[in-house]
Order: sequence, then C-alpha cells, then structure tokens
Amino acid sequence: MQQGSGTTKFVRADGPDKVTGSGRYAADMVLPGMLFAAFRYAEVSHARIVELDVEAARSMPGVLAVLTDDDVPDVRYGAGVADRTLFARGVVRFEGEVVAAVAATTPEAARSAADAIVFEYEELPAIVDVEQAIEPVSPLVHAGWEDYEASTERGHNVASYSSITLGDTDTALAAAHTVVTSRYVADASHAVPIEPRAVLAQWEGDKVTIWSSTQVPFDAQAGVCETLEMPANRVRVVVPHLGGGFGGKCGFHFEAHVAALARAARRPVKLVFTRREEFTAPDRRREGMVIELTSGLDADGRIVARTGEVLIDCGAYIADGAFFPQVASMHIAGPYSIPNVSIEASLVYTNHQPSGSVRAPTAPQGCWAVESHTDELAETVGLDPVEFRRLNAVREGATGPSGQVYGPIGLLDCIDAAVASASYGTDLAADEAVGVAVGWWPTFAVPSGAYVKINGDGSGQIITGAQECGTGSVMTLCQLAAEEVGLNPEDFQLVYQDTAAGPWDMGATGSQTLVNNGRAVVAASQQIADALKKLAADQLEASPDDIELLEGQARVVGTPAASIAIGELAAIAAGGELLLGHGSGPPPVAPEISATCVGDQGMAAWVAPQFSCHAIRVKVDRDTGVVRVLSVAAAHDSGTIINPMGAQGQVHGGVLMGIGQALSEGTVYDDRGNQMNPGLLEYKLQTIADAPPISIDFVGVAAPDGGPRGSKGIAEAPNVATAAAIANGIAKVVGARLTQLPMKPERVWEASSGAAEAGGR
Amino acid sequence: MKINLNVNGVTFPVDIEPDRSLSGVLRNEIGLTGTKEGCDDCECGACMVLLDGHPVNSCSYLAVQTDGRQVTTVEGLADADGLAPLQQAMLDAGGVQCGFCTPGMLMSATALLSENPEPTVEEIRIGLSGNLCRCTGYAKIIEAVGSDAPST
Repeated sequence: MQQGSGTTKFVRADGPDKVTGSGRYAADMVLPGMLFAAFRYAEVSHARIVELDVEAARSMPGVLAVLTDDDVPDVRYGAGVADRTLFARGVVRFEGEVVAAVAATTPEAARSAADAIVFEYEELPAIVDVEQAIEPVSPLVHAGWEDYEASTERGHNVASYSSITLGDTDTALAAAHTVVTSRYVADASHAVPIEPRAVLAQWEGDKVTIWSSTQVPFDAQAGVCETLEMPANRVRVVVPHLGGGFGGKCGFHFEAHVAALARAARRPVKLVFTRREEFTAPDRRREGMVIELTSGLDADGRIVARTGEVLIDCGAYIADGAFFPQVASMHIAGPYSIPNVSIEASLVYTNHQPSGSVRAPTAPQGCWAVESHTDELAETVGLDPVEFRRLNAVREGATGPSGQVYGPIGLLDCIDAAVASASYGTDLAADEAVGVAVGWWPTFAVPSGAYVKINGDGSGQIITGAQECGTGSVMTLCQLAAEEVGLNPEDFQLVYQDTAAGPWDMGATGSQTLVNNGRAVVAASQQIADALKKLAADQLEASPDDIELLEGQARVVGTPAASIAIGELAAIAAGGELLLGHGSGPPPVAPEISATCVGDQGMAAWVAPQFSCHAIRVKVDRDTGVVRVLSVAAAHDSGTIINPMGAQGQVHGGVLMGIGQALSEGTVYDDRGNQMNPGLLEYKLQTIADAPPISIDFVGVAAPDGGPRGSKGIAEAPNVATAAAIANGIAKVVGARLTQLPMKPERVWEASSGAAEAGGR
Repeated sequence: MKINLNVNGVTFPVDIEPDRSLSGVLRNEIGLTGTKEGCDDCECGACMVLLDGHPVNSCSYLAVQTDGRQVTTVEGLADADGLAPLQQAMLDAGGVQCGFCTPGMLMSATALLSENPEPTVEEIRIGLSGNLCRCTGYAKIIEAVGSDAPST
C-alpha cells in the first residue's frame, strides 16, 4: 500500500478514553488532602506597587499558604531576555500579572483570601501603542531593561529586533516599473483551547510531581527547575490528557507557582483557571501587528524588490517571542522569488498581556497583509491574482527571499489544486467572490527521543517524550513503529507526556512531533527490527538480510512458507536478550542562505518548508458588512502524509480557526491596556453552524530533508493563508481593501461604503 | 440540602449547598469527571448532560433542580457490550482530537438523534450549535453524527 494513500482506517489509541469520559484531564485529578489555589492579579496594566500586605489573608480560616515575590528564589527568567519573575516585583506590567498566590481548603476560601490581600498601587502611564512605544520619548515598560540578561538585539521598548537583507532594494526600487506601498494592522487574538488550564502539584520529600495541562512538559519542567532552583531529576511534569492548546499552553506558566504553594502548605495544591483567567493571565496571546511594505515590479509583473517594516506587540514580557520578528519578516517577504529584500521587524514591549506562540505565530497576520498586498500588485499590473502568483511563486531550484534555494517543493501544485477545487474563474453572483492566497511555514528540526520495547507476549510499547495536544501526531507514532517491525498499530500502547519516563522532546509546538519524534521512534524501532531479524534468521536458518517483517510474521524473502510469528520471537527474546530499542536520530541540518540577518534567530533558513494555497468563496452583505464563508478549497504541500485522517483534521481545524481570526475573533482593548472581551460571549469562536465545507488536496511532495517518509509538519500551516484568502474575496466584492484584522462587519461595511461613495454608487 | 440525584440509572443521595452547579456535583460528589467545564457561562457546551433526555449546560444548572429527575452523562452512553454506535462513529470518522468537547458533543448529538434519527447536515449543524470545538473544524463530527443516524 502506498504511504498515506488514505485507505488506512485510523482509530486513535486515546479515542476510547475520550468518548467514554474515562480519560482524565488535569482538572479531573484529585489527591488526598488537596488544597485549591487562587491568584491575586494586578488588574491594572501598569503601576508601581505601593503596598502588598498578605497578613490578613494568611490568618483567614482554611488558608495554608500565601506567597508573593518575597517567598520564592530571586530569579529573573525568560527566553532571549530575562525580563520575568514568578510574582510581580515592584511594578506590574499587565492586568493579568500575578501579584500573590493563595492555597486554601476550598476554592471559595482561596478566592476570599486572595481578595483580602491588601494591594495598593500608584498607576503609571499605560504603553499600548507599538508605534509610539518605539519613540525615544515613550516611557519604558521595563525601566531596567539594559541590566537584563539577553541574547537578542534590543532597543527602546524593543525586546527583539531582526532583519533580512538580500541584494540592493534602493537601486531595484528606483529602477522598478511600478512601486506599490501598503499598510496593514492586525489586532491581537487568542488560542482559546476549550480546556482551561489546570495544574496540580504534590511534594514527596525533596521531589515534586506536577500534573499540568501544558503542551510542553519539558519546557515547564525547565521553568520550575530555573525558578525554584532545583535539578531536573527532582521535578517531574506529567500531562494527563490535554484538552487542546493551539500554542496557548506552550511555554512555562504557573507550574512553579503551584509547586511553591504546595511546598509551603505541605499539601497537594490544585489550580484550575476560569475562562476569564485563561484569556487574561497566561503569557500567550496572538500578537497584534503593524505592517508596512513596499514592492517594486518590472514591466512583466515580476517582483524585483520588497521592503518592509513590522512592529509586533510583545506585551509586557518576551515569553517565547524572540524569534517572532524574523519569522514575521519571512512572511512579509512571502513565498516568492524576490532578488532584493530589506525587511526589519521589532518585538515591541507594551502593557498588554504578553504574546506567545499561538498556532503559526505572526504568520496568519503576516500572510493576510502580504497576500492582500499581492492582490494589489496584481491589479496594478493588470494580471489575474492567480497568474501573478504563478509568475512569482518559489519553485524547485528557485531562490527565495532569504536566499535559500529550494529543493522539490509543491507551491505551484498547491495553486493549481486549490483554484481547480474552487472552480476559480466561473461566474458568481455580484455579492460573491473567490479569494486566493498562498502561505508557507517552516518545519522545525529539533532533537527528540523515544524508546520502543516488545514484551514477551508480542505486544509493544512506545515510551516517548512527545506530547499529544489532540492532533493525533503522537497516536500516529504507533503506525510508524508498526511499519518498521511488522506489527499492527493496535499492537502498540503509548507511554507519553511524562518527563520522568520519556527522553527530552520540544513538545506539542511548532508542528514538530511527527517529524522529530517520528524520526526517533523509527530509529528505535529499527533496532528492534534488526534484533527480530537476527532471531528469525537463527530460527529459519537464513541470513538476517533475507528476513522481512510483515503482518506479524518474520519471513524469508521469496520463500513465504519459511516464516515465524513475531510473537514467538518475542517469547524467545523474553528468555534471553530483551527486545529494547532507543532512538533519537540526527535532526536535519538547516539549509544555507545568502541573506544578511541582524538579530538572527535561525528563522530565515527553513528546513522542509511547507506550502499552501487556499481559495475561499465568500458572500458579503454590503448593507450590514456581514461576511459568510461559503466554501474553502485548501491545498497543502506538507510532504508525504503519513496519517491522512489526522492531517485532514488539522486542515479542517486550522482553516476554521483562520476563519475565526479573519471575521469574528479579535481582542479589544480599552485605552489603558485592559481586555474588554475576555470571555466566550464577547470573543466569538466559529460554531458548527458557521463551518463551511472544506475540500482538501495534499499535493504530497516528499521532502528530502523532512521527517519519516519525507513528511513535514501540518498542524499550523492550515491557519496561515485562510484570513488572507477571505480578505481577497471580500475586496473583490466590495471594491476596497480591508486594512485591519479581524474583518468585522463594521469594518467591512465601512470599506464597502467608502468604495461605493468613491465610485458614485 | 439533601436530594436524590439519579445519574445514569443510579440514585445518589447527596447533601449539598443550594448554590452548587450540577456539573460541580457530578464531578466532585459523584465522581463522574467525563462532564467537562470550559467556560461557566453556557457558551462552550463541554458540560452538556441530558436531563430527562433533554440537553442542558450543567455548569449553569443548579444541582438541586434535578432532584428526582434522570441525569445522563457521557459515562452513561456505553454499556457492558461496549461503545454506543455514536461513540464508535466518532472514533471511526476522526471526530475526536483533544477530546475535551467530545462528552458534551456526544450528549447533544444523542439528544438530537433520539428526536430525529436521520438528521440532515443542516439539522446536525443546528442541533450541535451549542457545542464549541476548537480542534476539528466540525467536519468529521458532522460526518460521525450523520453516519450514525441511519443505522440506530
């Protein structure tokens, strides 16, 4: 059977737990003597702490611990910039900053005690506008920033700066036939997993076990080790079933707060977030962006130069955003062959909630801006938007905007497939149009590890550091192991998301699981396969090289009658040398690039880049500005597809999230930096009634530098080009560009009315 | 207050404060954690249970209001013979990803199918519109509920 041909029926190993309600999530966990945690938040976006008095709270009935910055080690942490402390120190910088934490015998007692903490402050000016924040006259979010440990390029309210320079844009723009400049603004949005986060910590002696709804257990473990000053082998992070993440549960968040409470109270402590807390407190929000870009075209419509400046709203702390400027720059360049490029991007501190990796960070906003701009370019030179993209898109052998030369890639195939599926070019009603956009996203090549064992009864186990966030990527590891050793996927059980059991893994982030942990599982399984072949060779009096492992049997190639069941071999091994495999495998090496990068974060050289084209049919009510998405054609080059059902699920989910980001989602702030819609009544996710039919084409170009079988990532890519394609559809109908994301009805109505007035309609 | 809470055919006498939510009592007093809490304001549907066969958001339903009535949770769908056809259909179609919305989704779909055994896609979209899912884009959930419809 051809790999990924779609004929495999795939029932995920965790499925029965999830449909019966027997699967445990972090909030479901209960321990004897367990206490409940509550946080006291700043509830002001920028202020100097005048008084913080916890004495009254400490003496309340049922309260066993109250902690502030005074009660934890003096550690400042943060990836790229050490700008963060567990509890506010002297100054609060966003509304959801934790000032104090309480553990008490009931959730109500904990809440009452948190409210009883005396917290007085002097409000400071809120810095909420990225363009003003970078001006030298702007007040600073971090007055002491120059003393922080840092590895990024920094400046005035700039946490991380990065640039990509290729060729000579000044000369090329001066010589261009046509020059177009655009400006786009994207509002912040949220990941919104349906499970609010929960953390439970229990100490036994000098060791702590933390059950957490994190996407990145090893990162969470590292954060606890750093902030509580402990070695990794005394901190165990276990993730029960994880109720979604979408990046919102990446990073180190509240594990150390809860562990510190449990240590102080000498009891297990559980924290469960409300939906409002889930919106306001984590260092995770999809970043707002201001994007300006200029492109020069030659007379044939080829892009000869592009310049751009991107300001990204970092919020109060850097979280994992150090690489955002460079990945945003790549998106402003786009998947086009442009010989002259000069793009710079800054991650700008404000008094908003910190930004962090949410499903393809910076990409949907960047793609929305650059693909809107691309339709403007096509119109300027009188080319159809699809033809314009075919002319300029990167292809095999082409040089991209960072000077990377591409191997076999399928962007042109994606364009062909999507426009065909969408019947692009056929006549539609006057209020309908098909918008087209292309997108791209890297594959993250990182270390990863796994063990595989075959038990004496022939059943198998995969012990992996990988984290399942719902996508099914960890479930698919059973399929890879099974193919290597000749068993069925159902013959394997998984031991996963436990830092004490599995080797290090980056976690459910960067769409990396199947690429990197898949490589590790294949490597481990190959050791088992080699051992099985040797055992079979002894039994069948053949050479190990002539043994094949298929359908539960070890067979001599060409002599199917000479065979032995793998279960029998496992029984033999159980009486001698056990069937154990361990693997990691070297990650693919980053490709060469010729661009010059200041503040390089390694994000301009993309291993196994993924490509996509979305063609989306929209219907616009010009009187109300309401947009309906009628159908979506999504074509993806995510390399070889290993688990078709899982990959389809990622496209369906990513597209719908993208529709939400395009039309209904978007965080609204007041002028003091507070969120005005931190709840599901006011922050609207797409429902099943909104969901359009989505057709999917996987063009499946095997990646020579990808994961197992030539696979690439898939979970983030479908989110990238969705808002962009919708924008291009809306612009066709209303005759004007939408320049702010999300494209809410009032914004669509304004653009439509403006165009109608200008056109005399 | 002392009430008799009948859950999945078993009666549990419980003594609870009158302000307790049904989801909280199910999860904490009865020990059935399949019912999930995602928002506490009736927007996400993860806490959906059946009350005398009708779907309700148990996070916003007072436990004392259910005294003497029949509550069905996700734990009540499968029996000794195995999964209910709808549960199996959700697995076969790939309608489960993170699984956090799944219990509520299954309860809404069970209510829909008991009233309308062969729903159209449009009827499924209306029947499940009170249940948010962030993972699946709903496509395979619609497929699962549709495929289950004719045979049960």
